[in-house]
Amino acid sequence: MNVEQILAGAKDGFLLEPESKGILAQSGISTTACRVANTADEAVKLAEEIGYPVVLKALSPQIVHKSDVGGVHLDLNDASAVRQAYQRIKGATRVIDPEARATVQPMAAKGVEVIAGLTTNPQFGKVLMFGLGGIFTELLKDVSFRLVPIEELDAREMIGSIEGNGVLEGFRGGPAADVDAIVDILLKVSTLAESYPAIAELDLNPIIVYPRGAVVVDARIGVSRGRVETRSAPVRLPK
Amino acid sequence: MLSEADLKQLDAVFSPRSIAVVGATATADKVGFNLVDSPLTSGFQGEIYPIHPKLNELLGLKVYPSLEAVGKPIDLAIIALNQYASVDAVETCGRLGVKGVIAIAGGYKEMGEEGEKLQARLVEAARRYGIKILGPNTLGMINTHVDLCSVFYPLKLARGDVSVLSQSGGVGLSLMHTAADEGLGLSKWIGVGNRGGLEFADLLQYLAYDSHTKVIGVFMEGTEDARSFVEVARRTVKHKPVVVYKVGKSEVAQYSALTHTGTIATPHKLAMDAFRQFGILPVSSLRELVAVCKALSLSDLPKGDNVGIHTHTAGPSIVIVDELAKRGCNIPPLQEATIQKVEDVIGENPPIILKNPMDVAGLGFVAEPFGRVTEAMLEDPAIDILVAVYCLHKNWRWPSQELIRAKQKHGKPIVACYISDIAGVKEDREPLRAAGIPVYITPEEAAYGAAGLVSYAKARQRGV
Repeated sequence: MNVEQILAGAKDGFLLEPESKGILAQSGISTTACRVANTADEAVKLAEEIGYPVVLKALSPQIVHKSDVGGVHLDLNDASAVRQAYQRIKGATRVIDPEARATVQPMAAKGVEVIAGLTTNPQFGKVLMFGLGGIFTELLKDVSFRLVPIEELDAREMIGSIEGNGVLEGFRGGPAADVDAIVDILLKVSTLAESYPAIAELDLNPIIVYPRGAVVVDARIGVSRGRVETRSAPVRLPK
Repeated sequence: MLSEADLKQLDAVFSPRSIAVVGATATADKVGFNLVDSPLTSGFQGEIYPIHPKLNELLGLKVYPSLEAVGKPIDLAIIALNQYASVDAVETCGRLGVKGVIAIAGGYKEMGEEGEKLQARLVEAARRYGIKILGPNTLGMINTHVDLCSVFYPLKLARGDVSVLSQSGGVGLSLMHTAADEGLGLSKWIGVGNRGGLEFADLLQYLAYDSHTKVIGVFMEGTEDARSFVEVARRTVKHKPVVVYKVGKSEVAQYSALTHTGTIATPHKLAMDAFRQFGILPVSSLRELVAVCKALSLSDLPKGDNVGIHTHTAGPSIVIVDELAKRGCNIPPLQEATIQKVEDVIGENPPIILKNPMDVAGLGFVAEPFGRVTEAMLEDPAIDILVAVYCLHKNWRWPSQELIRAKQKHGKPIVACYISDIAGVKEDREPLRAAGIPVYITPEEAAYGAAGLVSYAKARQRGV
């Protein structure tokens, strides 16, 4: 399916991971494979095809934050580990969504984790965000923003302006990360957001960056066809 | 986007030949009195028509019982009535062909839903008649080039080429007074208020077009049309710098902004990044806003971001280096030939290390050799702009002539920091200004000024 077809079939809200990654792949952004298993047996079969080690992730329209509900199992090395992970996902998601399934994905090699995002701001419109993975973004809020559309120079400045950018240059003897690959992803996300007004939110978290190349390991895309509110929800009263 | 015709109309509104003050009163503690006193205080030479149903005369001016009774064209009506009566007054202005209106009263969008509806009526009335409306909920407007002060704080400001958009009256006043202390003249000061009619983007477009404006300073709490604002700014910064001080970093500040002018705030970092992307210069204090506008008003731009510092006092130069580095400036080492020239001036084996910042403390404070050190540094190809830092002294004069000569000879910008009180720099400020050298009395402000020049030069080179 192409991007139009995926979006045409989607309701407002978050797309599932296979659809989100489908849109990214259509846009020329490299992602890890994401194949749907309806049973534990199917999961094992897919894992054998993909090759170990693999990752199992819960797949349900009710579950946006998969790892928060025990829906992500990493580094599974054989059939019994896959079978067990599938059952644990079913167990963990039973109350939220008894119909929940799982996706089987290759376990990506280690690299530098970064995050790219898109939000729709009531005042500025579509905004791209870039940050490093883990505490850099979540705790230290070390992120940079640019309004869509961006040019290559904007993408480079976005990456260069975060405090922790030294991590990309090879920290403690590690190899330097492929900044050009990140630039490429940011530019493609910008083009995607500009081309499809319905794409209101996007979260590529994490993207693993290698000395050569980068791959999106987890992704979700938020669709909204409603007019963007010019006044968002009331500001929370200070305590 | 405003059309050419809109911009011409705004010219007539901001440089009016005739103004009416609707709701003039004889009581000095009332806004309606001060809006009549204000253009008189500023020396406005156009017609002033105070409107009051019963008064005959006010501050030596003939008072008219109604707008209709004036019987002559009115370019600008300043409405000092309450929020409800203001709506009817705009209607009347419309029927009489008034070009623009300043709606002073509050009680609109910032009050919630009901006020928002009332504001919509006010704006619709103006729109129906093609009136340009500033406000509501604004302090007013000043245009020094026609000697017009129409804010209800009667003032006479020095003329200049820096124009200001302010989302707050109080902060705007603080800016005016700071600018006056800094010897910085203003061109237009516009209180944007609730931005019912004229939005930030419209007013920015007007200032971009205005021939009396060279530098644009903005104090912003928040705006719904942020995207249009940055788009207009992107075009503006190609020929005029736009410096923005945006508040609303903390959650409490964001809530206060909502109740002040009815606008929710955007995450601060996002706004700052967006500003930079579009070539706007963000600043983080009122003093920085004034300091940067002053530098951009007076000085030419450096070719690059390499700053030389010449001083006889180490501490302030460290403060300056800190502030410059935070703002993306470079403090390069000096060339060997430059060090040699400095040694020729101060003698061999001085008890100091010769580097950048160049601290020639050993010299004491003698203007003439200081001038030669300054020249040696400006001659260095590694240096694009010089910050010269000296302290007030009873027996030693400021090296102003030397700085002016050095600037003229080498054609690179100089920012002076004369550590002093205002009185101590007053005499030197004018000749320095005439030579395009901004002088500040604190090291931070000198750094703000120099960094502002560097940032704008970079934004221009980057070609946003």
